[in-house]
Amino acid sequence: MGLFDKLAGWLGLKKEVNVLCLGLDNSGKTTVINRLKPSNAQAQDIVPTIGFSIEKFKASSLSFTVFDMSGQGRYRNLWEHYYREGQAIIFVIDSADKLRMVVAKEELDTLLNHPDIKHRRIPILFFANKMDVRDSLSSVKVSQLLCLENIKDKPWHICATDALKGEGLQEGVDWLQGMRKVHLIESKCVSV
Amino acid sequence: MSSVDGSGDAGKWLDAHYDPLAGLYTFSSCVDLADLSGDGESRLLVGDLGSGSSGMKLKVYRGTALVSESALLDLPAGLVAFFMDLHEPRIPAVAVASGPCVYVYKNLRPYFKFTLPGLEVNSLEQDVWQQARAGHIDPPTLKEMLEGIRKKADIPLSVRSLRFLSLEPGEIDDFVQLHEQQPIRRQTVITCIGTLKKSTADEDGVSCLVIGTENSHVYVLDPEAFIILSKMSLPAAPTMMDVTGQFDVEFRITVACRNGNIYILRRDSDKPKYCIELTSHPVGLLRVGKNVVVGCTDDSLQGFTQKGKKLWKAALPAPITTMAAMDLPTRGFQAVLVGLANCEVHLYREKNLLGTIKIPEAVTSICFGRYGREDGTLIMTTKGGGLMVKILKRTAAFDDRDSAPGPPLAQSVRLNVPKKTKLYVDQTLRERENGLAMHRAFQMDLSRLRLTAAKAYVKALESSMTPMSSSLSEPLKMNAVVQGLGPSFKLTLNIQNTAACRPVINLAISFLCDESLYRMRNPFMRIPLLVPGLVYPVETFVECTSDKGISDIIKVFVLHEGKSSPLLTAHINMPVSEGLTLN
Ligand SMILES: Nc1nc2c(ncn2[C@@H]2O[C@H](COP(=O)(O)OP(=O)(O)OP(=O)(O)O)[C@@H](O)[C@H]2O)c(=O)[nH]1
Ligand SMILES: [Mg+2]
Repeated sequence: MGLFDKLAGWLGLKKEVNVLCLGLDNSGKTTVINRLKPSNAQAQDIVPTIGFSIEKFKASSLSFTVFDMSGQGRYRNLWEHYYREGQAIIFVIDSADKLRMVVAKEELDTLLNHPDIKHRRIPILFFANKMDVRDSLSSVKVSQLLCLENIKDKPWHICATDALKGEGLQEGVDWLQGMRKVHLIESKCVSV
Repeated sequence: MSSVDGSGDAGKWLDAHYDPLAGLYTFSSCVDLADLSGDGESRLLVGDLGSGSSGMKLKVYRGTALVSESALLDLPAGLVAFFMDLHEPRIPAVAVASGPCVYVYKNLRPYFKFTLPGLEVNSLEQDVWQQARAGHIDPPTLKEMLEGIRKKADIPLSVRSLRFLSLEPGEIDDFVQLHEQQPIRRQTVITCIGTLKKSTADEDGVSCLVIGTENSHVYVLDPEAFIILSKMSLPAAPTMMDVTGQFDVEFRITVACRNGNIYILRRDSDKPKYCIELTSHPVGLLRVGKNVVVGCTDDSLQGFTQKGKKLWKAALPAPITTMAAMDLPTRGFQAVLVGLANCEVHLYREKNLLGTIKIPEAVTSICFGRYGREDGTLIMTTKGGGLMVKILKRTAAFDDRDSAPGPPLAQSVRLNVPKKTKLYVDQTLRERENGLAMHRAFQMDLSRLRLTAAKAYVKALESSMTPMSSSLSEPLKMNAVVQGLGPSFKLTLNIQNTAACRPVINLAISFLCDESLYRMRNPFMRIPLLVPGLVYPVETFVECTSDKGISDIIKVFVLHEGKSSPLLTAHINMPVSEGLTLN
């Protein structure tokens, strides 16, 4: 981050946020991000992401740069290269895939223990996605299975979503924006 | 979703699911994984044996949930998923072998039933049933006649007649009524089933079914028309089978048979090409790469080449319950999972034990492959009907080091032995050439040394000159101390009885010295009783009478009353007198 950027950040001028979108393959990351875009920019067909893709969009006062990572096993080792740039994380979980909840937990634990993440107060937003699927787990159950209550040093929030219809997404984004404001205020306090 | 702890390989596997009450009773041959709906998510297909007499079912699991079950008419002997046509979307069919039939399901609905061709029926048997139908003979007579036929016929009886013979007298009338109208059929049953790609090696290429039967045949079936494409015969009934290759190009069917041998069938012959004779019966048969891995009843795992040459053998700690291949093409990893009766699953690459998984119960079936969306999924059913799913961690790595106990690594490290020097070589040569002479010289010197030692000892004994008594009844030890500068000396003799417990009595000490030089105050002294172990100092004074500065020895004798030879003799070297005579 250049000095000017820092200055702008302290003054609250900088309104750009880099967000990492992580989660297992087929959890709905690309679908979620697609839904957050303005309706005229939304894609119709969503195919499994290869490697990663970068999406930019504005939501109210903030402009987001989202790194939509591929969740496939063979691409998951790419994630960590973007941890340093990320200022917030969206972690998407397929709440209908009970079998792979352990895999999601394993990847989350690896993320939380990574040196680039471990000691930062980076906000994490969990989307317990596919809540429309019959027999899908509730967001409470998902946070239990992922042991989210053990995350003590980072602000986090979980909401149940249906990315196909776009339900629940706004609540999450609002929380993230709130976190951003808190973060800015904190930064200002430090600079005074 | 409960997790099971205590797995020895906890670092490599994630506990995805464990339902001890799933009620799945099956074997590895009746379990398969397939993407049944074309959505990229594999389902688990299980041919459930139920209680063995009822409740046989084809069950389908998606993730942790049972999503479909349909009844099977007979016990399943094997279950495979295979592509039977080229239709899109590419959805495999399921074939369940049970009894003499293969039931084919498409979209989980019964689609086709293939029945093995009938066998020749005993004509005598046919005749008696004919007569029974016509009313010429009554059921008890029918039973008697069939009994007779069974004893001497070379063509065995049909299942119907055998069943009839085993009935209680009360049941036979109904049985005859029910069955007499139907023609008699004799049929063999399927013992194992496999798939063989028709003409391409593609993952979703059309496959033929390969079935092994109780009457020692192997059939290859056309996937669309279900006609027999090829028939091969074996020396014994097949029990397990592994198929590789393509039917139209070249294939290899490896069959474990009930006679304890393994036969290898090739495309060009209807008889086995190679035979592997095992020393004990095979209980598991797999192919890893080009090699065949066999688990045997003698608790061993053995590797063979595809031509039947034995490569290795590994001993297992318990009997094998089931085996499955662990194939991870994305990581280039191939190994064998072996379920053991001691509630463990061992992972072997060749004969090296790579890992152990502990299970609460012995496993009855193992299946490894893509389940759901996870490529490395291990699915096991247990003896009590439980279902357990474990997922291999993305970061898990297996090192090839053998974790089985054995000789330590250090044993195979070569020691850095220095080179042989010229001197060493010369000496060795000399020793080799003159070995006899050297040995003789050594023996001679050794004998001389012994003789000298013996002589000295005898001399010492004869003169009783030792400060140690050699008598067994009075073992004594003595040392002498001379104090003073002269001409007066104090002589202290420390006497000790070294016997374990016996005291010594009636001892005396006398001195012998040159009278012209020394004067002893008491030349003869009695010694009190000597208690074992204690040191008794006996003191006397000696005066040197000469002032010429010469010294001599004083002899000390320890005597026993009534014996002329002393027990002990000691020579005391007196120092030169340095003082002046007082008187
Ligand atoms: N029923 C339902 N389906 C969803 C929902 N969100 C996503 N999907 C479907 O899930 C599938 C996968 O969605 P993607 O957005 O491609 O998933 P992804 O996380 O980006 O996957 P990768 O790019 O492979 O990591 C698609 O078929 C979506 O239509 C949801 O909320 N409900
Ligand atoms: Mg995607």
